[in-house]
Amino acid sequence: MSYLAVKGLHKRYGANTLFTDIEFHAEQGELVTLLGPSGCGKSTLLRCLAGLTEVDRGAIVLADQDITQLPPQRRGIAMVFQSYALFPNMTVEQNVAFGLRMQRLARDEVQQRVQEVLNLVELQGFATRYPHQLSGGQCQRVALARSLIVRPRLLLLDEPLSALDARIRRHLREQIRAIQQELGLTTVFVTHDQEEALTLSDRIVLMRDGRIVQSGDAETLYTAPVDAFAAGFIGNYNLLSADQASRLFGQTFQGQVAIRPEAIRLGVAGGFSGRIVSHSLLGNVIRYRIATEACELNVDVLNHGPSALQANGTAVTLAVDSDSLREVA
Amino acid sequence: MSRTERLYHRTVVWVLFLILFTPLAATLLYSLATQWSATLLPAGFTFKWYLQLWSEPRFLAAFGRSLAICFGALALSCVLILPAMFAVAYHFPRLDALMNVLILLPFAVPPVVSAVGLLQLYASGPLPLTGTPWILVFCYFTIALPFMYRAISNNLQALNLRDLMDAAHLLGASSWRAALLVVLPNLRTGLMVALFLSFSFLIGEFVFANLLVGTRYETLQIYLYNLRNGSGHLTSALVISYFLAVLLLTWIANRLNRERT
Repeated sequence: MSYLAVKGLHKRYGANTLFTDIEFHAEQGELVTLLGPSGCGKSTLLRCLAGLTEVDRGAIVLADQDITQLPPQRRGIAMVFQSYALFPNMTVEQNVAFGLRMQRLARDEVQQRVQEVLNLVELQGFATRYPHQLSGGQCQRVALARSLIVRPRLLLLDEPLSALDARIRRHLREQIRAIQQELGLTTVFVTHDQEEALTLSDRIVLMRDGRIVQSGDAETLYTAPVDAFAAGFIGNYNLLSADQASRLFGQTFQGQVAIRPEAIRLGVAGGFSGRIVSHSLLGNVIRYRIATEACELNVDVLNHGPSALQANGTAVTLAVDSDSLREVA
Repeated sequence: MSRTERLYHRTVVWVLFLILFTPLAATLLYSLATQWSATLLPAGFTFKWYLQLWSEPRFLAAFGRSLAICFGALALSCVLILPAMFAVAYHFPRLDALMNVLILLPFAVPPVVSAVGLLQLYASGPLPLTGTPWILVFCYFTIALPFMYRAISNNLQALNLRDLMDAAHLLGASSWRAALLVVLPNLRTGLMVALFLSFSFLIGEFVFANLLVGTRYETLQIYLYNLRNGSGHLTSALVISYFLAVLLLTWIANRLNRERT
């Protein structure tokens, strides 16, 4: 039996089904990401795990205990919100200590544990500040500390990085992962950002329209998407219709074909030919847009400096290994 | 900003200030004058009107009654409106539109009309208050409602109420404790503004006091009305006195408010 098991969860709101048949599990210490476009039901699902929203059907089992009907106060689950949800009238210290105050712990112990957890999130000098005196990244670290201090059985993170700018987001992402692994904390992370999901997760649950499309480890989701949606959402797959793919590769396909942009090799004879339409610099990678006889393709090539850059309009040859062609439903 | 622009802005502010301030200044001057009838400026200055007023037991009693009724009404509105607003914001956000219409009623219905209704309402039933000063507390509470609602609802909207409550719940707080420890302290500014506005308005209220209870129960305004045939200097002193009292209260409360932040 897994540490966290979610079985057949179903939630309706009025005539709308928010999600249905949700099944996933997490082992102790794992970080599971719920990934999907906005409106796919992932945030509501997280609220149901927390007990902030009731489910219509199904069960949530945490550490061999059915918590489906427990109020949020008694689930032993902590949550970090996208909006931080820090209490504006309290200092950092008071915010962090709030959970322990509710447990009526002795003042000394509260003090000590607040120090510990502020050290953990590297906010030692900020104890007496108020939330409005902190930056977004600092606020979110306070929120994280406030959640960690109660030593939750399960940590929920609801798009905690979405409100932050790119550099802080990357840094905090690494920090969250490091702390999560150090504490061996079972965590469910919600995001719509595939890069975040791929870098953080032990397991990814990909959702669309209230259903699970695919779940598995990051590697599997990236290399073996089960359908066109999964291929479109994770990575920057080229999606070819059966007809386009048949013309290009000279073999017959039944369904759509997904090809990762880095699986197409440029300047290799023996494949097919094309012409560069445009290119964009993504930093360490150059993404070419190449017109072929059947369709246009995105091709990613490592950036080896200006001399290696091919001009728009250049005729090129391309090749794809046959095992990189993935037929999807 | 150019010089002419700045001059224009200053002029507008000063003119407005002057328009608001002149009647008050004139009243102040009149209350300090020994005599002021046929001359451009008062004949001389004296504190005698104030001394006379503040040693008048009728005035002190009226002042006390006004304060008691105002504080009573404000206390009642805190007890009733705050939880109601919380319930609307947290559980029934859709009712906000209805509440916005409701809070206009005390302004929309003229006091002369609603006084009749109130007298009917409190004539019998569970709260037979007609003929007693208590009716004023229950009437003034409805007048305070729009001020309270507007000021606090701005404050509430600035808070991320749902997330704050959720966070507090997950950290082990009951709804009561969450509301008390997390939401209420953040509404303090709005609540203070609401209370001052209502207080300054209620202490100057005359129509309801006159219609609902009558001229024998003297509040400040009723006392002022009963003095109408007496000395104008004395009534001026009264107006200035109650204006200063409001000013003083506002200042004290502001100080208290600032110290706690």
